[in-house]
Amino acid sequence: MTDERPVVLLPQVPPLGGSYVRGVAAGGRLAVERRLGRAGASLPALAYEVAGVRPDAEHLTAYQHHVGESGSDRLPAGFVHVLAFPLATALMVRADFPLPLVGMVHLANRVEQHAPTTLVEALDLHAHAENLAPHRSGTAVDLVTEARVDDRLVWRGVSTYLAKGVRLAGRPADDEPRPSFVPPVPTGRWHLDAGTGRRYAQVSGDRNPIHLSALGAKAFGFPRTIAHGMDTAARTLAAVGPARGDAFVWTVQFAAPVLLPSSPSVRVARDGDGFGVDVWHARSGKLHLTGRVDPLR
Amino acid sequence: MAPSPSPRKSSTSGGAPAPTARRALVLGGNRIPFARSGGAYAHASNQDMLTAALDGLVARYGLQGERIGEVAAGAVLKHSRDFNLTREVVLGSALSATTPAYDLQQACATGLESVVSLANKIRLGQLDSAIAGGVDTTSDAPIAVSDRLRRALLDLSRAKTVGQRLAAASRIRPKDLAPATPRTSEPRTGLSMGEHQALTTAEWGITREAQDEVALRSHQRLAAAYDAGFFDDLVTPYRGLARDANLRPDTSLEKLAQLKPTFGLGLDVPATMTAGNSTPLTDGASTVLLGSDEWAAEHRLTPLAVVVDAEAGAVDFVYGEDGLLMAPVYAVPRLLARHGLTLADFDYVEIHEAFASTVLTTLAAWESDTFGKERLGLDGAFGTVDVDRLNVHGSSLAAGHPFAATGGRIVATISKELHLRQQRDGGTPRALVSVCAAGGLGLTAILEAA
Amino acid sequence: MTDTYLELVNGGLTGTLAKKLGLPRPAPLRRYRAGEPLLVGPVLVLGKGADADAVAAQLAGPWDLDVHRHAHDARYAALVLVLTEVTHPDDLAAPVLEAAATLRSLARGARVVTLSRPATDEDAPAVAAARQGVDGLLRSLAKELRGGATGNGLVLADGVGVDAPSVLGGLRFLLSTRSAFVDGQLLAVDTDGGSLPDDWDRPLAGRVAVVTGAARGIGEAIAETLARDGATVVAVDVPAAGDHLAAVANRVRGTALQLDVTADDAGERILEHALQRHGRLDVVVHNAGITRDKLLANMTPEKWDPVLAVNVAAQLRINEALLTSGDFTDAPRIVSLASTSGIAGNRGQTNYAASKGGVIGMVRATAPLLEAFGGTANAVAPGFIETEMTARIPAVTRQVARRLNSLQQGGQPVDVAEAVAFLASPAAGGIRGRVLRVCGQNMVGQ
Repeated sequence: MTDERPVVLLPQVPPLGGSYVRGVAAGGRLAVERRLGRAGASLPALAYEVAGVRPDAEHLTAYQHHVGESGSDRLPAGFVHVLAFPLATALMVRADFPLPLVGMVHLANRVEQHAPTTLVEALDLHAHAENLAPHRSGTAVDLVTEARVDDRLVWRGVSTYLAKGVRLAGRPADDEPRPSFVPPVPTGRWHLDAGTGRRYAQVSGDRNPIHLSALGAKAFGFPRTIAHGMDTAARTLAAVGPARGDAFVWTVQFAAPVLLPSSPSVRVARDGDGFGVDVWHARSGKLHLTGRVDPLR
Repeated sequence: MAPSPSPRKSSTSGGAPAPTARRALVLGGNRIPFARSGGAYAHASNQDMLTAALDGLVARYGLQGERIGEVAAGAVLKHSRDFNLTREVVLGSALSATTPAYDLQQACATGLESVVSLANKIRLGQLDSAIAGGVDTTSDAPIAVSDRLRRALLDLSRAKTVGQRLAAASRIRPKDLAPATPRTSEPRTGLSMGEHQALTTAEWGITREAQDEVALRSHQRLAAAYDAGFFDDLVTPYRGLARDANLRPDTSLEKLAQLKPTFGLGLDVPATMTAGNSTPLTDGASTVLLGSDEWAAEHRLTPLAVVVDAEAGAVDFVYGEDGLLMAPVYAVPRLLARHGLTLADFDYVEIHEAFASTVLTTLAAWESDTFGKERLGLDGAFGTVDVDRLNVHGSSLAAGHPFAATGGRIVATISKELHLRQQRDGGTPRALVSVCAAGGLGLTAILEAA
Repeated sequence: MTDTYLELVNGGLTGTLAKKLGLPRPAPLRRYRAGEPLLVGPVLVLGKGADADAVAAQLAGPWDLDVHRHAHDARYAALVLVLTEVTHPDDLAAPVLEAAATLRSLARGARVVTLSRPATDEDAPAVAAARQGVDGLLRSLAKELRGGATGNGLVLADGVGVDAPSVLGGLRFLLSTRSAFVDGQLLAVDTDGGSLPDDWDRPLAGRVAVVTGAARGIGEAIAETLARDGATVVAVDVPAAGDHLAAVANRVRGTALQLDVTADDAGERILEHALQRHGRLDVVVHNAGITRDKLLANMTPEKWDPVLAVNVAAQLRINEALLTSGDFTDAPRIVSLASTSGIAGNRGQTNYAASKGGVIGMVRATAPLLEAFGGTANAVAPGFIETEMTARIPAVTRQVARRLNSLQQGGQPVDVAEAVAFLASPAAGGIRGRVLRVCGQNMVGQ
C-alpha cells in the first residue's frame, strides 16, 4: 500500500446499482447540510479493498466487443477500471464523502498499465479518494483505484471528477484558459447509436441514468442520453490497438459530452513515442475529448 | 543403361541447376457484364452469377465434362450459406463434377489473388489447369439479424430446459428484430472507403477536374473496346445485359462536372469525389482460365499471357500515416526491384479504378521525389506512367466494380491485349496490374505476353 | 412452341368432336430418335427393271428391311416406286395402280418415295413425258396422304446409279422419321459424288461443323442435331446472344464463338477458331438470319440493308474466305437456310425474300466451286416452323398459316435441322446447289 490510510476490506465488490440509489439520497442530504453550513470539507480518510477478484470471461467478451477491443485474454485497461471503480463509487456514496455523486462530471482520467494482466489472474483491488481541490466551476476530486496481482501493482487509475457549483475552501489556483481546438484531418469516425449508453451500462454495471434514457438525461440537463466518458475513452485506447504495448500511460481529458446518437470524427495518430487521440463533433468541430497513449518506462 | 564410371555430375558447370518453374499461362477469360446494384441482376445470387460466368468460359473453350485441376474463387460479400460457394458453382456448371474447388477472399484483391495462387500451383507442378474467379453482389447482399437476437436465438437452440428456453426467449426485444445490414466502412476506423480515399485525395491535392478526366477516359476507352468487338470473346451476356450497365459512352466532362460530391462530406477536407469519378456498387462475376504449356497444347488453346510474379502489400492506414488504398504504391516498387524492372519497362499499366483519385494518388506518389526518398527508400521518384499505357481499355469507373470480380476482369482483358500486341508488333509486351483493397491491402502482378 | 389445335383435335373428347365436325385433323408427326430402326413394318418396292431390283436388294440386304415386291395384305411402312426406267407415260400405270391398292392400309407416318429421272430437252418426248409425269403424280399423291404420311421423290440425273451415295443417303433420309416435315418434294441427285458413312446413326463423326445463329430456335436445333450425328459443333451467334449461345455450346459439348457474321473478318475468325480448337473445318451452316418486314412502298434503308447484309452478304463473304483459305477442302459442306418466302414470295417481305432468293442463287453457284474437293453447297427452305419468331405472328394468322400445308401443321425446328444434317452428311455429296424444302408441302410456290 502506498499510503497510510486505514483499509476497509470488503468481502466483495459492491454492486453499483445500489450506489446510485444511495447516491441520490446522499445528494439530497448533502444539499441540506451545505445549506446549513454543516457539510464536511475533507475526504474520507480510508481505503476500500477487495481481494481475489476474478474477472468473468463472458463479461470480458461483452466489454471487448462493445468498445472495439480484440477478444484477447488480456484485460483492457478500461476493463480493469470497470472492475475496480465500484469500490471508488462506494466511497463516494459514504455519508462522510463531501461531494454529491449524482451530477458529478468526469473531467479527466489517467491510467498507468504497469504490466499486462489476464483473465486467469486474481486481482486485489483498492480505491481511495484524494486531492480535493477547488476548480473554476466547483470542486474537483481524484478517485484513485489500483489493481495488484500477487502484491505487484499492475494497474493504477486516477479519475478526476468535478462537483459543479460546490464551493469548498478557496478559489482555484490554476485558472488557465483551455487551448482552443482546431479539428485536424480525421483518421476515422465512430458510429455511436442511441443505444450505446445503455449497452455500456450493461458491460460496465454503471447505470447512471444520464446514459440510460432520454428522461434520465433530461433530469440532469442533457437533451438526450450521453455516451459514458469511460466508454469513449476506452474506444480511443482500442483505436490505438496493439501498438500501445504492454506498459503504457493512457490519459484522457473530457471536454464536452457526446450526445447520442452521434458519429464523431476521430484522429488517432502517432505523436512522438506515443499516440495522440482527438474526438470531436464532425460538423461543429467541437472537441469531445482528447487524450494520449504513451509507453510507460 | 550403361554403368556410370564416375559419380554423376550436375548437368551445368556452376553447381546445382537453378530451379526452373513451369510457366503459368493465362489461356482466356469470361465474365458476365457488370450490372449496377439493384439492376439487371437484382435477384441473382453470387452462385447464379459465378455459374453463368463459368459456364460461359466452359462454352468458349469447349471444357464440358472436363476435370479442371482446381477452381478457386471468392466473394467479398458472402452469405453464410455460401460456405462452399465455388465448389457448389462447379457442381452446377458444365465442368466435370470431379473438379475440385475452394473459396478464398482478399477483399477487392480476391479475384487477382485467385489468379496468383492458382498460377503458383501451376508453376509448382501441382496443377496443369485451373480456373480463377470472383463474384460479388451488392443487390443480394447478406442481411444478418442483430447481435442481441442472434445470441438469444443461439442460446435458445442450446437451451435444454423450459426455464432456459424461456430465459433466452424473454431476452428478445422488438427492436432486436430489425435486420443488421453489413457495413461497408472500415472496421478499425469507421470511415467508408470513399471517406478514406477523400482524405488521401486531399492530402495529395488531387483536383476534381483531374479525377473527372480519368473517369471520362475510362468510359470512352471501354466503350471503344466494346464497339471494336474487343470483348466479344471476354464477355458473355447475362439476364438481358450485353454490356456493362454502368458504361456511359456519351458522358462528357461537362456532365461529370455537374455531379455533386458524395464522399468526404462532413470531413474537414475539400470534397471532390462524385458518383461520376467513383465506382458505383456493382453486381457481376468473372473467370480466368489458367494452364501449363502442355495442357494448353493438349487442348489446342492459345496462350495469351504468362503470370510472371506477384507482390502483396499493406499499409498502416489506421493512424492516417498512409491512405487506405495506397498499398500498391509500396508493393509495386518491391515487385519491380525483384525483377530489375522500372515502370518504363511496362507496355501496359492496369491500376484498378476504385476511385479516379486512387489512380491519381498512386501516380502522384510514384512521381514524388520526397515520397520516393522518404517512404519508398529510393534515390528519388519511383517513376511515371503516361496515359497511353494506363488502363487502355477502361477500368472499374466505366465497367463497375463487383469487388471480387474485378481482378479476373483486369487479368483477362490485359492478357488478351498483350497477346494482340505481340501478334502485331512481336517482342514480349509486359503489363503491370495493381489492385487496391479494403483493410489497407494491395495486390500487384506482372504479366507478359506468352 | 405448342400447337394447341393439333393437341385438341387429337385428344379424346375434343378429338371425337373435331372428327364429327369434319375439321382438319393433322396427325402428330413421329420424329427421329437416335438409334431407332429405319422403318417399322414392311416396305413395298414397286417398278420393273434392274434399278428396282437393285433398290430392293439394298433395302433387304444391307438395310435389313422386310421388302415386298408385290402388294400383299399388309400395313406398309413405306412404298418405294422405282420409276427411273420409264420410257412412256403408259409405263406408270402398273406400279402406280399397284401402289394405289395399298394406300388405305398404310401405317401411320408411312413414307412414299419415288425414284425417277429428270425430264430434259434432250430426252425423247415420250421419255420426258413419263419422267415429268412422275413429278405431277408425286406432288398430288403427297396431298392425298393422311396420318402423317409423306410423299417425296429423288430425281436422279442421267448416269447416276440407284446405288450412288446420295441416292442411298437421300432414300434413307426420306424413308426415316428424320424427314417428318418434308412432304411433296422432289430432290435432285446430280452426281454419284459423296460417300456412305460407316455408321448411319453417326454420319458426321469426326467432322467439325460451324452453325451460325446457333443460340436459339432453328440454329439451336441444328447444333444439337449435328452433334447428335457425331459432329463437333462450333456454335456462333452475336455477342448479345452469348448467354443462350453458351448454354447451347455446353449442351452439345462444342465451343461458343461470339461473332457478328457481318464483320469483315467473320470468315477468317470462324476458320481460325475451328482450326485452332478443333483442328479442321468441314461443315458450315449459314443459319443466322433476320426479318424486318415492311411493304415495299414503306421500305427504308434501315429495314432493307441489315436483312440483305445478314441473310446473304455475310454468307457470301464467309464462303469466299473459306474457299480461298485452302483449309476447307476435305469434302466440305455448306448448307444455307433459305425460305419458302424466297421461292414463292411473301407480302411484306421483299427484303427477306430478296435475301433468301439470293441464298438459293448463291448455293447453286457455290456448289461447283467446291466440287474439286468433293464438296457441295445446298440450301434448306423452311416453311412454317414453330419458333419464337413465328410465335410472334398474330394468333389467327398463325393458325391459318399452320394449316396451309399437306400435313396441316407447323414444323418443328428439329425438322429443319434434320434436313440440314442430311445435306451436311458425307452421303449428300452428289446433291449440288439444290434447295430442299421443309414445309409439309406448303401450298405456295413450287
